Amino acid sequence: MQPDSSTGLNGKGQDLKIVSLISIGQHPASGRARRAEQDGRAVELGMTLAASSSTQNLTVLHAGDSQQAALRSYAGMGLESVRVLQLRESADAVKTLSEYLHKHAPDIILTGVRAESGESSGMMPYLLGESLGWPVVSRIADIVSIKEGVAEILQALPRGQRRALTVRLPFIASVDNAAPEPRQSAFGPANRAFMEQQQCHSEPDTARNGWSIVSARKRPKRLKIVKAKTAADRFKAATAKPQGAGGKIMKNQPAAEQAQAIFDLLLEEGVLR
Amino acid sequence: MSDDHYSEILRRDPRAERIARNRLHALHVAVSVGGQATEVRGPSGLLRKNPHTVGFTGPNGIKRIDRLKGNAVAIKNGRRNAPGSQEALLPLHVIAEPAFTIVVVPDMVGGRLTAHDKDVLGQAHKLARAIEADSNETGVVMVVAFGVCKEENFDKAGVDRLLLLDSAEYEGYCPEQQIAALAQVEVRFKPKYWLFPDSVHGGTDLGSRLAARLGERPVAQAWQVDTKISICRGAGGSVDITRATPRLLMLAEECANPIDESRHEVLPVAWESIPVVSPQLLDKGQVAVDPNAIPLAEAEFILSAGNGINNWDQFHTIAAALGATEGASRVAVDDGYMPRFRQVGASGTWVTARVYLAVGISGAIQHMQGIGQCDKVVTINTDAGCDMVKRADLSVIGDSETVLGELLSLIEMFRQQPHQSQNSVSNSVKNAVENGAKEGAENAA
Amino acid sequence: MVFEWLHPVLIATALLLAAIGAVRRVNLWRAGQAESVDFVAGLIAMPGRYLHDLHDIVERDKYMSKTHAATGGGFVLSLAMIVLVHLLGLESQILAWALLVSLTLMFVGAVFVFKRRLNPPSRLSKGPWMRLPKSLLAFSGAFFILTLPMAGVLPEGFLSSSTGGWILTAVLTVFIAMGLSEMLLGMTWGGPMKHAFAGALHLAFHRRPERFGGGRSTGLKPVALDQRVLGVQKPEDFKWNQLLGFDACVQCGKCEAVCPAFAAGQPLNPKKLIQDMVVGMAGGSDADYAGSPYPGKEIGQANGGPLLTITEGLIDPQTLWSCTTCRACVEECPMMIEHVDAIVDMRRFLTMEKGSTPNKGAEVLDNLIATDNPNGHAPNSRTNWAADQNLPLLSDVKETDVIFWVSDGAFDMRSQRILRAFVKLLKAANVDFAVLGAEELDSGDVARRLGDDATFQSLAKRNIATLSQYKFKRIVTTDPHAYHCLRNEYADFAEGIADDLFDNIEVLHHTTFLNQLVQAGKLKLNPYKGGTVTYHDPCYLGRYNGEYEAPRELLRSLGIEIAEMERSGFRSRCCGGGGGAPITDIPGERRIADMRMEDVQTTGAELIAVGCQQCTAMLEGVVEPRPQVKDIAEILIESLVEPLAKELH
Repeated sequence: MQPDSSTGLNGKGQDLKIVSLISIGQHPASGRARRAEQDGRAVELGMTLAASSSTQNLTVLHAGDSQQAALRSYAGMGLESVRVLQLRESADAVKTLSEYLHKHAPDIILTGVRAESGESSGMMPYLLGESLGWPVVSRIADIVSIKEGVAEILQALPRGQRRALTVRLPFIASVDNAAPEPRQSAFGPANRAFMEQQQCHSEPDTARNGWSIVSARKRPKRLKIVKAKTAADRFKAATAKPQGAGGKIMKNQPAAEQAQAIFDLLLEEGVLR
Repeated sequence: MSDDHYSEILRRDPRAERIARNRLHALHVAVSVGGQATEVRGPSGLLRKNPHTVGFTGPNGIKRIDRLKGNAVAIKNGRRNAPGSQEALLPLHVIAEPAFTIVVVPDMVGGRLTAHDKDVLGQAHKLARAIEADSNETGVVMVVAFGVCKEENFDKAGVDRLLLLDSAEYEGYCPEQQIAALAQVEVRFKPKYWLFPDSVHGGTDLGSRLAARLGERPVAQAWQVDTKISICRGAGGSVDITRATPRLLMLAEECANPIDESRHEVLPVAWESIPVVSPQLLDKGQVAVDPNAIPLAEAEFILSAGNGINNWDQFHTIAAALGATEGASRVAVDDGYMPRFRQVGASGTWVTARVYLAVGISGAIQHMQGIGQCDKVVTINTDAGCDMVKRADLSVIGDSETVLGELLSLIEMFRQQPHQSQNSVSNSVKNAVENGAKEGAENAA
Repeated sequence: MVFEWLHPVLIATALLLAAIGAVRRVNLWRAGQAESVDFVAGLIAMPGRYLHDLHDIVERDKYMSKTHAATGGGFVLSLAMIVLVHLLGLESQILAWALLVSLTLMFVGAVFVFKRRLNPPSRLSKGPWMRLPKSLLAFSGAFFILTLPMAGVLPEGFLSSSTGGWILTAVLTVFIAMGLSEMLLGMTWGGPMKHAFAGALHLAFHRRPERFGGGRSTGLKPVALDQRVLGVQKPEDFKWNQLLGFDACVQCGKCEAVCPAFAAGQPLNPKKLIQDMVVGMAGGSDADYAGSPYPGKEIGQANGGPLLTITEGLIDPQTLWSCTTCRACVEECPMMIEHVDAIVDMRRFLTMEKGSTPNKGAEVLDNLIATDNPNGHAPNSRTNWAADQNLPLLSDVKETDVIFWVSDGAFDMRSQRILRAFVKLLKAANVDFAVLGAEELDSGDVARRLGDDATFQSLAKRNIATLSQYKFKRIVTTDPHAYHCLRNEYADFAEGIADDLFDNIEVLHHTTFLNQLVQAGKLKLNPYKGGTVTYHDPCYLGRYNGEYEAPRELLRSLGIEIAEMERSGFRSRCCGGGGGAPITDIPGERRIADMRMEDVQTTGAELIAVGCQQCTAMLEGVVEPRPQVKDIAEILIESLVEPLAKELH
C-alpha cells in the first residue's frame, strides 16, 4: 500500500470500511485446525489498508463457532476483537453472511480463495458478490491504491505474474497466496482478544446431507498411454527404460558450443522472452 | 482440401521397380531386401506382398515369419518423395442433429488448448457417451473460446462445435463480458453440463462466476465424474466428497483421458450478437514483473549460483539478461553473496521452476530435494561426477565464467534481433483453423 | 588542631552520601517484579558464596584473582578499621598497625591493578575503569600516611606541625577525598565500585541459589501465561534480583571474549547487553559506555528508561536474536550474572506479545503448534525412519527399562544415521528399551529458546502426560537439547499431571548411558583404527548439564587419545546451532560453525567426535575439505564387536 491522503476514504468522503472474512484452516500434514493461509493474508491486507487510513475500520468476521481455538490465531496478529456470527456446524454460512454484510455495507470484503476445510469449493466470494450485486475480483495479490472510490488492484497470475485491474468500490476480493504473508500470530494478544459473539438466524445446508466424505484417496498417476498395434510394441513400451534417465553431458566441447547448447535448450523451453 | 490429400498421391519410381523385378541387377539386393521387402507396389499401384522376403532365417536355419510387421526399423525407400511420417487419418466423429449439448469453456492459455483443457474435453465426451448409452440420444461437445485463438487441433481434441468469441470486448481479462456470453449460451442451448477446468488460468474464476449467476451448486476439484456421481476433493484437498453430479463442474487435472482416437467436426456456431456489458472490472494489462521480485517458489526460470561462482557481477548481469529469477545454494548464502531468501533447498525454498539453471552447484542432498519438482535442469559445473550432473538434463563441464560469458553474448545477440516470427505463426494458425472448420462443415453436409 | 575534624567529617559525609546513594540504587532494583528470596539465608551465605563460588571463577585467571584478593580484601579490612580509627577516633596502636598492614595489602593490589591497566586487553572497559587503579592507590596511600602518626611511626601532630605538614595535609585531603568518592560514593552512585555493593547483594539474593556450592541451575524459568505482559518489555518487567544482577557487572569482558556471536561479528556483546540493561534500569543513554560495542553498531545511539520498551531504542532485536544460548558468557562471568535468562526474557516479549520472531522463526513456531515438529512434517511420519528397525513401542509394551527419546532427528536423514547407530548399540548390549513412536512430540527446546513459552509449555505438558502413562526407569536421548528440557525444564510442568514423575526416573544423554554400558562390559569394542580425533562439547550437554567426562571416557575406551581443542570442556565454543540461531539467522561477518571448524583444524584432527545432531549438522555444513564429523554412537558402531547371532536371540 502506498500511503496516500485519499487512500483511507471510500470516495464518498467516508472512512473506508473493510471486512476480512476468516474461516478455520486445516494443516495439510497434521489436519489440525489453524489459521488458514489465504484468510490470514486477507486479514493482513485488511490490517495494512486499515493502518493507512486514520480510523482502524477493519472488522474480522467469522461465521461459525466462537469457541474454535484457531480463531485466536487470527486475533494474535494484533486484533482487539473478532466478530463471530454464531452458527451451527450444519448451517449455511452464505445466507447469514450476506444478510450481515448487506446490513453493514462495507466498502471492501476480503476473503481467501478457497477454504481449507469443508467443501472448499471457493464459491463464497462469488455467492456473496452475486447476492450483494458487487463485482468480485479473484486472486488478488495486493491493493495498490484507493483513490476517489476506485481501487487499483494487482491480480496474481500463475508463475508470479501480475495483472493490474481497477474496480469501483464496493467490491469483494479473494486473496491469493501471492499476497503478502500474514504477520506472526502472537500468543499474548491472541489470548486476550475479545470474541464478539453475535447470535443469528441460520438455515441448515441440506444439500450436503447426501454427501459421503472420506479422507482423500491418493490419485493414481496417469500412465503414459501407449497405443500399440502389436504385442511387440506393447512389450517394448512396458519394458523400455523411461526417457531422460540420463542427461546429456558436454565435457570437451569449446565453451562457445556449450553455451550454444544451453541457449538452444532455453529457447526451446520458451523461457527466453 | 488439406495437405494430407496431396501426400496420398503415389509417386512411382519406375527404375526402382525395374531393379526390384530383375534379380540379376547389381542393385537388386539393396533395393528389394534392404528396401521395402514385404510389400511392394505393383505396376497398377496395388500393394503386393512378396512372400520371399517375409520373415528371416532363424539361427537353426529355419525360416521364421517376422511378426514385427514392419515396426522393426523404419525402412525408407520406394516412395522417394513421401513425407517423413504419415499420420493415419483418424475417423471423423459426426453428429448432425444433436439432442443435447455439453459445453466446455477451456482456459486456452496463449490461445491454445492446455493439457488440462483436453482432459476436460475428454471428460465431456465420456459424459456424452454415458448419456447416449442411457437414453440413446446423441449430443455434441461445444467449446466456448474467448479471445485470440491459435489452436489448430480442435478437431483432434474432441470439439464438435466451436463458439469462438474473439471480438474486441473479449480481449484481456473480462469476466463480466464472458459471463454475459455464457448466460446467453445457457438460454439458447440449455447445456446438459457445463464443464470448466479447475485451474488458476481462469477456469475456476469463470466457472465460479457462472455457477453463482445460474444458481448452480458446482463441484470443484472433481476428479472422477459420471452422470450419476462425482468425486471431488474438499477441505483443501484432504478429503474426497462423493456427491450427485451437478450441472456445472469444475474439473481437476487428469480427470479423464483426452480424446485421441477420433476427429471431430469443429462446426462453428452461428451467433447473433451478445450484448456488450459495461464492466466494473477494468483490465489495465499485465504488469512487467521484475524476475527477481517473483517468489522463488513460483518462478518459472531460475538461475542458481553456488560455490563455483567467482564473478558475481557477471552472474547478476546474466540473470538480468536471461530474465531469470536468481537462486542460490546454501554455501553461496552462508558466504554472504546472496540473501537468505534466495536459498534453494530443503532448508530454503522448494522451487517448481520449469527450467533450473544451476551454476557451480555440486548438489548437496538438501539442494536436490529442493529442486525435485523442476522440469528441466541444466548445470554448468567443473566436476562431471557430482550429483547435480547426474540429475541434470544438460550438463556442461567447464569453467562457469567462460561459459556464462559465451551465453551472455548469445543472449545479447538474440535480444538485438527483432523477432517477428510469432506474428507469422499466428496468421498461419488462424488459416489452418479456418480450413479445419470449413472441412468440418463440408463433412457434416 | 584546626583540621582534626576534617578527615572524620570527610569520611562521615562520604558514608552518608553513600547510604543515600544506596537507598536510591535499591529503589531502582525494587522497581522490578517481585521474586521471593530467602533474605536471611542469602545474606548469611553471601560471604561463603563470595569466597568459594565467585572466587573459583576468578581463580581461572591467577593474576587477577591474587590482585583482587589483595585489593578487595585489603579495602574491606581497611574501610572497617578506618571507620574505627579515623571516624570514631578509637586510639589503639595495634589497630593502627593492623590498618597499616591492610592498607599496604590494598596498595600492593592496586599497583597490580595499575599494571594491568597500562595495556588493557580489548575486552576490558575503559573510561572510569581506567581511573580506578589511581583512586585505589590514592585511597590506600593517603590513609596510610594519615594513619602513620597513630601507629606511632610519625610523631602526633606531625601533619600540622610545619609548613610542609600543612601542604602534606592538603595534598592528603585531596587524595582522601578522591579515594573516598571513588570507593564510597562510586559504590552506590554508579561508579566502577558499584560492583562491590551490588555484587555482594547479588550473591546474596541470586535468582539461582542452586548454582552456589558446585550446583547447576540451567533450566529457564517458566512464564505465567496469564500475565499482563508476557516476557520483558520494559526494564521494570525483570525480576528485581535480575536488575540487581545487572548492576553487579564489573565489565571485565570475559563474556565478550567467549561469546561466539560476538566473535562472528553478529550484533551481540553480552557485556554491552548487561550495561544496556543498567542504562535502561537507571534511564539515560549508553554514551558513557567505554567498552567494545555490538559489532557493527555505534555507541551513543541507545536510550532507555525503566518504563520504556527495551527493543525500541535501547536494544536492537537483532542483538537478542544473535544469541545461541550457549551459556559461555554465564559460565565465564565472575559475578555469576545470568545473560541467557535476560535474553530469553526479552525474546519472550518479542515472540509472545509482538509476534516478531525473525526469518523462519514464525514458520517454525507455527509448525510446532500445528504438527508438533519444527519443519511441518506429518506427525505420523515420525516413525518412518525406524520402519526397518523393529523397535518396541511403549504403547504396546507399556513397561520398559529405558525409553529411547528419539527427538526430531527422526525427520532428518543425517540424524537418522545417529539414531540407527544408537539403536544398534542398544540391541547389541541387550538393553530393555522402547520408543514412544508417534506419541513423542518435539521437546519444545526451539520454541522455548525462541521465546514462545506457551508452545513449549503445551508440548511439555503433553509429553509429560504421555510419559506418565508408562512404567520405566530411564529416558535416554541422543539429542542434548531434548535431554536438557527433559532433565532440567519439564519438572516445572509436571505438577497436576504426574507430580513425582521426574523424582523417580533418570534422564540420560546417550553418551552417558553408553559409557555405563561399556564400563559394565556390556558392549565389546575393538580399538579405534583411524587418525587423530578431537571432541566437540555440545553446549547443552556440557555447560548445561555438566557432562564433560562420559563422552571422553567412551572415546578413551576405544583407545583414542583425544586431541583437545584449546576451547573445550566448559570453555567449548558453540557450533552456532543452539537457541534457534540457525532459524533466526542474524547476519554476521563469519559463521560460528566455520570458526569452530578452525578450532578443530588447529588440532590436526581428522575426525570430530560429537554428541549432538545439531552440532553434527552445523559442523558438516562447513565447506569441505574439512575433518569428518561423527556422533560418538557412529564411532562406537564401527568398533563394535558384533555379538554372535545366537547371543542376540
